[in-house]
Amino acid sequence: MKGLLKNNLYAALSNARFFLEVLALFGIFAAFVLSPGLLTGYVLLCMVGATVIAILSLEKENASKWRKYKLTTPIRRSDIVKSYYISQLVWLMAGSILAAIVVGASIVLHGFPFDRYADIFIIPVAGISVSLLTDAIFFPTFYFGGEEKSEVFLIISVCCSIGIVMGISGSINLLWGPDMTVMELFIAAMIMLACAVIGFLVSIPISIKAAAWMEY
Amino acid sequence: MENILELNHVSKTFPQSDFALEQISLTLPYGAIMGFVGENGAGKTTTIGCIMNTVTKNAGKIKLFGREMTDSDTGIREKIGVVYDGDNFPGYLNAVQLESIMQGLYSNWNSALYKEYLERFHLSPVQKIKTYSRGMTMKLAISAALSHHPQLLILDEATSGLDPVMRDEILDVFLEFVQEEDHSIMLSSHITSDLEKIADYIAFIHDGKIMLTTTKDDLVYNYAVMRCKESQFEKIALEDIVAYRKRDFQTDVLVANKKQAERKYKNVVIDNVSIDEIMFLLVKGERV
Repeated sequence: MKGLLKNNLYAALSNARFFLEVLALFGIFAAFVLSPGLLTGYVLLCMVGATVIAILSLEKENASKWRKYKLTTPIRRSDIVKSYYISQLVWLMAGSILAAIVVGASIVLHGFPFDRYADIFIIPVAGISVSLLTDAIFFPTFYFGGEEKSEVFLIISVCCSIGIVMGISGSINLLWGPDMTVMELFIAAMIMLACAVIGFLVSIPISIKAAAWMEY
Repeated sequence: MENILELNHVSKTFPQSDFALEQISLTLPYGAIMGFVGENGAGKTTTIGCIMNTVTKNAGKIKLFGREMTDSDTGIREKIGVVYDGDNFPGYLNAVQLESIMQGLYSNWNSALYKEYLERFHLSPVQKIKTYSRGMTMKLAISAALSHHPQLLILDEATSGLDPVMRDEILDVFLEFVQEEDHSIMLSSHITSDLEKIADYIAFIHDGKIMLTTTKDDLVYNYAVMRCKESQFEKIALEDIVAYRKRDFQTDVLVANKKQAERKYKNVVIDNVSIDEIMFLLVKGERV
């Protein structure tokens, strides 16, 4: 597993360098300019962007026989799948830390930057949910649908996960109305996060099952 | 001592393809090199895929080190080194990064040995693999395959596309590897000169079927090609013919026992035969 995680890290780093530099510059800008919208966008970009970049790095393995080669090494197919999920969590964490640093810097410079106190919890939860659902949709489709279509599956996964998150929040708004209390907002965010986590966890055995059938 | 690799009636079909592996049976003893010969698309890579479980066979048994290997038999894969044709590793890695990955995959990875191979093959440890030449890529794959002390090397067209000097250098490494009596190599190739140099056994595959499998010495010393005129060809007993090919004024007949053929058919020219010519006659010729 250690070797697989290192492999995923190298693959993602080869993609992520430029993205991280852009994020760092954008982060400095977002921290200095007092704009709740910009900061919200930055938080979501960090989380979803890190997930997307890590998934895009999988595409690089297609250029060589590495995916087939890995199956000849002393690792199980299920370990390969699990390593992808673990790597995705690591990148989501990295994106979250970067977002937290920039939001923290904004608070230090300008005071509390968001319109509502609950936003400091809800926005990251939305970002994490989109990221986890993207992984949850992408990996089973990647294995069932064919690795050569990974870019298409990635776009579909991001769109679907945004749609699901918006659907969940829309349903909660319908249920509790527009003027929710802080506690209701907190519960709504927790429901959204729980759905994403369940989706993420359920997709792991599905992907493992699909990977067992893959032929190279 | 039992065989390091055994294939018994292995079959594989593919949906949306006419190609199929049919009843492949092979045995590779310990301490031997088997050349697996066949034209492009004959089924060499599919057979290796079945052996390594990268392709799921439909029927038959494959035994590695005396037992069937499943996905969870990681211990067996510790003892196997694999080299595929072309790019085995992602281009974004360099040799040092590859080593750190391999160290995490193989419990008996030998860093010192890997470095030794990198030096021997003049491979830069920090150069990205995508900037390596084809020869360098193959040398790196061979270095990685040998650095975890495998007992069995499975090489799928590992020497194709390399110049003769580089091929010779790599064949020497393979010969060194089989100095240990419990080490074996399965080398698939359509470059038959490589196999003539190092193989102990040769298996010919064509259109998903094993046409012939025997020792190289048998091929070199016993197999021969008879250059027959029409009238001479008609007198040859069917049981003596392995394969034949008619040309304008001559029929080439592959026979498995040169001395017997020389005794039986005194007026026919009988030549020694190269592996290339055997392959040609088996693939292009007719069988009785």
